Amino acid sequence: MIGGVLPGSRRLDLVVLGCALSLAVLGVLFVASATTGTRFEGLASRQAIWLAVGVGAMGAAILFDYRMLLKFSFAIYCVCLLPLVYLLLFGDTIANVRSWIRIGHFQFQPAELAKIATALLVAYLFENEDDARLHASTVMKLAAIVGLPILLVFLQPDMGLAITFLPLLFVGLYFGGLPARGWAAIAVIVVLLAGGAWFLLKDYQKARIGTFLNPDSDVLGSGYQVRQSKIAVGSGGFSGKGFRSGTQSQLRFLPVQHTDFILAVIAEEWGFLGIILVLGLFAALLLRALKLAQTARDRGGVFLVLCLTAMMVFSVVLNASMMIGLAPTTGIPLPLVSYGGSSVATTFLGIGLILGVDFRRFANA
Amino acid sequence: MLKIREDRQALARRIEISRVGVGALLSFLAVAYWFVQIVRGEHYFSLSENNRIRAVKITAPRGYVLDRNGAILVENQPAYTLHLYRREARDLEGSIAFIVELLGLSPDQVRSRVERGRREPEFVPIPIAENLGIEEVAAVQVRAVEHPEFAVTVSQRRLYKHAGSAAHALGYLSEATPEQIKSAGSVYRVGDWIGQKGIEGAYERLLAGANGERRVIVDSHGREVSEANRLEASPGQNLFLTLDLELQSVAEEYFRELVGAAVALDPETGEILALVSSPSYDPNWFTRRVTPAEWNGLLENPDRPLQNRAIQNMYSPGSVFKPFLAYGALAQGLVDPEGRVFCPGHAAFYGREFRCHKRGGHGWVDLRDAIKVSCDVYFYNLGRRLGIDRINEIATAFGFGRPTGVDIAFEKSGLVPSEEWARTKRGARWYPSETISVSIGQGPVLVTPMQMARAMAGLLEGGRLPTPHLFFSSQAPGTGAPLAYKAEFREGLEISPEKLQLVRNALWAVVNEPGGTAYGSRVEGIAMGGKTGTVQVIGRGATVRAGADPSKLQDHAWFVGFGPVEDPKMVVVVFVENGGHGNLAAAPLAKALFEARFGLAVPQPANTAVQASAPPPPGRLRPAADREAR
Repeated sequence: MIGGVLPGSRRLDLVVLGCALSLAVLGVLFVASATTGTRFEGLASRQAIWLAVGVGAMGAAILFDYRMLLKFSFAIYCVCLLPLVYLLLFGDTIANVRSWIRIGHFQFQPAELAKIATALLVAYLFENEDDARLHASTVMKLAAIVGLPILLVFLQPDMGLAITFLPLLFVGLYFGGLPARGWAAIAVIVVLLAGGAWFLLKDYQKARIGTFLNPDSDVLGSGYQVRQSKIAVGSGGFSGKGFRSGTQSQLRFLPVQHTDFILAVIAEEWGFLGIILVLGLFAALLLRALKLAQTARDRGGVFLVLCLTAMMVFSVVLNASMMIGLAPTTGIPLPLVSYGGSSVATTFLGIGLILGVDFRRFANA
Repeated sequence: MLKIREDRQALARRIEISRVGVGALLSFLAVAYWFVQIVRGEHYFSLSENNRIRAVKITAPRGYVLDRNGAILVENQPAYTLHLYRREARDLEGSIAFIVELLGLSPDQVRSRVERGRREPEFVPIPIAENLGIEEVAAVQVRAVEHPEFAVTVSQRRLYKHAGSAAHALGYLSEATPEQIKSAGSVYRVGDWIGQKGIEGAYERLLAGANGERRVIVDSHGREVSEANRLEASPGQNLFLTLDLELQSVAEEYFRELVGAAVALDPETGEILALVSSPSYDPNWFTRRVTPAEWNGLLENPDRPLQNRAIQNMYSPGSVFKPFLAYGALAQGLVDPEGRVFCPGHAAFYGREFRCHKRGGHGWVDLRDAIKVSCDVYFYNLGRRLGIDRINEIATAFGFGRPTGVDIAFEKSGLVPSEEWARTKRGARWYPSETISVSIGQGPVLVTPMQMARAMAGLLEGGRLPTPHLFFSSQAPGTGAPLAYKAEFREGLEISPEKLQLVRNALWAVVNEPGGTAYGSRVEGIAMGGKTGTVQVIGRGATVRAGADPSKLQDHAWFVGFGPVEDPKMVVVVFVENGGHGNLAAAPLAKALFEARFGLAVPQPANTAVQASAPPPPGRLRPAADREAR
């Protein structure tokens, strides 16, 4: 036992912090590029404000002991899910989706916060379920914890956001130690569910999946976005067309270029070098975060870092795949970079929690 | 303890595996992007080059503005604009030097234009110079091969046919300001024209119509290859004004060397037949984009040509205020029209001596005489009896102290004092002696010429105040249904027909009986009534403004006329700054306007007639039939 807290033993991981900030600044820059001269002009400065809010939240999360949060994670979970219920009953409809709460001038997407709360509760679950063997009861609890917010968000209906909760299931099952036959059982269930879900999907969601499977079938409809984004990415070449000079993006071929398709704008204007820069920053950030998970002080901390990192990995990979037609367009933003205040702010909150876990890896309490 | 440690090792191993997995996923993505961007890069680049659909605005032709008889006041003419395509410019400084040399422009101006467009995406052309002449267009075209970065486009330019005529009523076009572009519901972008002030501003949406859009496919040089689809523009509507160009020209001719304002109004409907503010300016300056020198000239001119004196300048009404007091006192039964007052040329009130404008005095005068000879002493006495708050009530009933609601912007309210105003706004209590000054239209009472015209219309119509307006008729966009102004009125002080007749008769006597203050201005063939006013220019401010120019200390001249007396068809207000006496400086214009209106003199020829060669405006050329019958 180390007596008290040694100041020298605390550290702030500069790799994670630096990569996150660089990506966010890159985001503000390209949101500005993608919106100048459009009716969205001014969103870049709004994004910068949200970035500042996020950095503030990150600082608070570092300073606040995550073990307290784990202890109260069930209460936090309940509180954060309430707005989702509220939205289902009274929400405004923006872009066909009922997922925003207006607070004065700004809009907030409560599902983003619900992701953090769910991650906390999953981590809390595995802090106590520490048997080497994964119990069936734990799996049921895990499914309930993650399934509820997925259901609520799916009903909004925002499929893209709903599936960003899935990595939490994966974290629980894989790092919790699910044996091979468990995976086989899950595979069977997924196939059955997918068949059933086809009947539940909205038409536009089906159209997007159909387009994904055969992108040239509908060149001017939902295949249009994929095709245009591919042209944008491909025409960027090695070094790009220059900042704010992308013809695809500046000519507004990409409908939501400042949100979901921001990476296509970067690819067009900064080329393959820009992509390497972005993917490199994400790789450094995510691999470093996983490294920090290994050295966390307790099991709760390990799972918290794993949950938060897994959700980011999922969004990054899916979004980057979307741009070049490797995944259907599901409306998943690129974390830290895409325009979206609540996404940027809560991602920073998550990064703050990761840094906080690392910060306290030797600390006693 | 042991079990947990084992678990953490297993956990650490899984994390290590997951790191490899994440690294592999991201590497796979990098390879996929490499494939799309490097291996297939050429293919997608050519796709992006050919795949350029560009939205091109189709500017809706702006509606013409015509007078009530269909004479064109404002039209459009083709204009050539020089644009710079930055993507084609290899050497921007060289390009600027070339065009400065070719067209004789100022290098700084060209540079500032380029600078203004810098925020726009690079493929958006920047306008460099407007209204090129045919020779200049040819000069640019000849050098097009060497300088492909410059191109000339044809657009429509607003043309104010009669230069400075009715400029304050018409307003002008200028580029939309950043505030206007940002304002809610704005459809304007940088470089768009928008109506400012006057009719152009007030009826912007009707005149502007709705722009259309073409989606064109362009090649990698930005040249149009074909058109994908188009949304036609819906043209702006032609707008007929209540103005009569002939009367307008007569009034402007009169004001050529004078400073002031004139308004001619139909007292029954509120239609404005003429609206002059002098000095004027040429609205065509703005469509040429005013040069800084011209702009400073406009701003620094001490006579402020941009100001619309008819609605924006407030003046003491002087003696033209008297008939309204007389009417108000009669309407409320506060004065006996037969009652007489002796005028010795001066009178003392509250320990102060007040003089009548006639040194020797008018002797015994009743109400009719007092209006006719404009006896100050009579009105001093009347004003003292009424008191300031009742005077306020009467003046307010005639619409003084509040905007008339005329359909052009930036109108001033004027000022009608009261005890409460003195206490709350001025911060010094009301002195009874001030009431004596106000009763002859001096002191803290201020009116605009437009208010005066409307008030006189109200007096003649038995208290009913029309809302003055310039909109005569137009057509609804889309349906083409005729649009007419729905005349609006505000009820004022009611009066019996006999008493109204008495006031009108007194105003007739002013012009038509020997001894009336405007006897010299009577019009042969029509019974015109009216009232003169002469306002002293006093106060330190005026002295300072006048500087070395003593003419700026001369009295201001008012004349308010109407006719025919039995059934007034027109009210004319003339105000001449530093003009001297109302009868001499202002009344002759009223006389000329009545002669022109009722065909009593040879109308002004020259530029007033519509030239046969003028291209016809799109759409309907005559006002709606029901209006024509009037």
